[in-house]
Amino acid sequence: MAAVVSIHNVVKRYTRGKQQVEVLHGLNLEVEGGEFLALMGPSGSGKTTLLNLIGGLDRPDSGEVTVAGERIDRLSSGELARWRARHVGFVFQFYNLLPVLTAERNVEVPLLLTKLSRAQRKRNVHAALELVGLADRAKHKPAELSGGQQQRVAIARALIADPTLLVCDEPTGDLDRENAEEILKLLEILNRTQGKTIIMVTHDPLAAAHATRKLLVDKGRLTVHEERTAA
Amino acid sequence: MKYLPLLSAALRRRRARTLLTLLSIVTAFFLFGALQGFNVGINSAFKLVNVAHLIVMSRVSMNDPMPVSHAARIAEIKGVAAVTPINFIFGSYQQPSNIQVVLGVDLAQLFKVNADMEVAPDQLAAALRTRTGVIVGRALAHKEGWRIGDRIPIHALNASKRDGTSDWTFDVVGFYDLPQPEWAVRIWANYAYINEGRAAGKDTAIQFYVGVQDASQSARIAQAIDDTFANSPDQTVTQNEKDYLQSIMHQIGDIGFLVNAIVGAVFFTLLFLTANTMAQSVRERVPELAVLKTLGFTDAGVQWLVLGEALLLSLSGAALGLALAALVLPRLTSTLSTQGIGPMHVPHLVFAAGAGLAVLLALVSGVPPASRARRLRIAAALSGR
Repeated sequence: MAAVVSIHNVVKRYTRGKQQVEVLHGLNLEVEGGEFLALMGPSGSGKTTLLNLIGGLDRPDSGEVTVAGERIDRLSSGELARWRARHVGFVFQFYNLLPVLTAERNVEVPLLLTKLSRAQRKRNVHAALELVGLADRAKHKPAELSGGQQQRVAIARALIADPTLLVCDEPTGDLDRENAEEILKLLEILNRTQGKTIIMVTHDPLAAAHATRKLLVDKGRLTVHEERTAA
Repeated sequence: MKYLPLLSAALRRRRARTLLTLLSIVTAFFLFGALQGFNVGINSAFKLVNVAHLIVMSRVSMNDPMPVSHAARIAEIKGVAAVTPINFIFGSYQQPSNIQVVLGVDLAQLFKVNADMEVAPDQLAAALRTRTGVIVGRALAHKEGWRIGDRIPIHALNASKRDGTSDWTFDVVGFYDLPQPEWAVRIWANYAYINEGRAAGKDTAIQFYVGVQDASQSARIAQAIDDTFANSPDQTVTQNEKDYLQSIMHQIGDIGFLVNAIVGAVFFTLLFLTANTMAQSVRERVPELAVLKTLGFTDAGVQWLVLGEALLLSLSGAALGLALAALVLPRLTSTLSTQGIGPMHVPHLVFAAGAGLAVLLALVSGVPPASRARRLRIAAALSGR
């Protein structure tokens, strides 16, 4: 299968105070379509930075980042925003739902950027909530949902625009084991049945076990710790 | 329109703060509309008054009494059609707060001076033959619920009676109408009744109300009246009704300046309040705005969302405030018409200016936080940096 993500010699630096800290040192990575990749590593190793570069939330200082056939490191801010809307769904550790909107309104937000009619948006939102098993919670606000349910809403929001790639940053980091397992199973189903390419950052080896490939990020470099299992 | 739920949700995030800010905006725009409407009332009063009606007052001060004998000498001046002396009592009716002014005049002359005032001949005749009779403006009669035959007791605050009391009694014998119905709010009594009843100031008048045959000659006649009394101990100053009204208004101050100063101060304060609300709102929602950008909203899109919030808040407040002013002003007209204020309403131009002000307010208060939202870097904002 063709590579969905292709990263070559990527360097990323942050400025902390008067110091420049290099977080990623000439990193290379290829992710094929339909893969479920787990990026593991200790805190500060650069895995979230790498995920942000793949998701088009940040830019490298040098190197090439090609995702879904687009050199996203060359896109302008506006082009990058439109590209994200088309190609990437995001799932965060703390869900990042808009607290004053109901579950269905939260899921609908990415569709506001499309030309879909209100009725079509509503149908798609219902289908996405159905997929994550929360159709009966559509009118509930995030504060009225459990952590696991909020993360399901976040996944529905990530899927609603049918993105090429799902980018998950510690999606189970704020959940108990039972809810975490449910979320991971949901991601696994999405990967297996719908062929979604998923890149997940996690500290948790049990969460990583659901992935088809595991990579270790350490001190800004991908290490040889890599294994691939059949999808 | 599809972004409206996002905008209103942002405003609902801190309901109390939004409500208080909205109330401030409503109050400011209500004041803006009401004061502009008040200005309209004053200006319309100027349009409605008649330059053919002259007011003669003492040159010493407008409250200084003149001998009633002036009336006969004024009547002799060429071009004068009619003249009546005016004395008055003011006092409370039924409740201390309900102040009424009763003007004592030569009723037969009054309706000749001011032909705009219409009264049924039989009612005028009744007033002339009834010593305590009064002709009441229909708007006032309607407000107080007075009918012909009613007796009105007035507790005077400026004129004691010869018997030592201050309680005057008048009988309603007729009503008068004006082309501007809400201005018919005066009580006209017989000069003789008040003159003979009061303990002090007998045979004096506080003003003379003069009608001229030709309005174009009113300036010449006014000068002629003042010349007539130039060498008397009771010199006069004569003005037409328009000039008289203007001199009264100038005693209050430059209304236009006052209105603009008040509105300016209110909006200046409001600007800081709204700017603070918007700045706080954006500061609290940095992660949420970053999420919107993550989901594909462009920098400009997020900037417009924040500006949209400011516009929504400002325009709804302005619409509510101006609507309230438009609703309240006509109800105040009948009350303030006794003070010489004309019909009040919020002109279309003020609605347009209000919309412009609301947009300006939204832009000035919304642009800094909107720019901040535009510059927001997603990765930094999501990680709390």
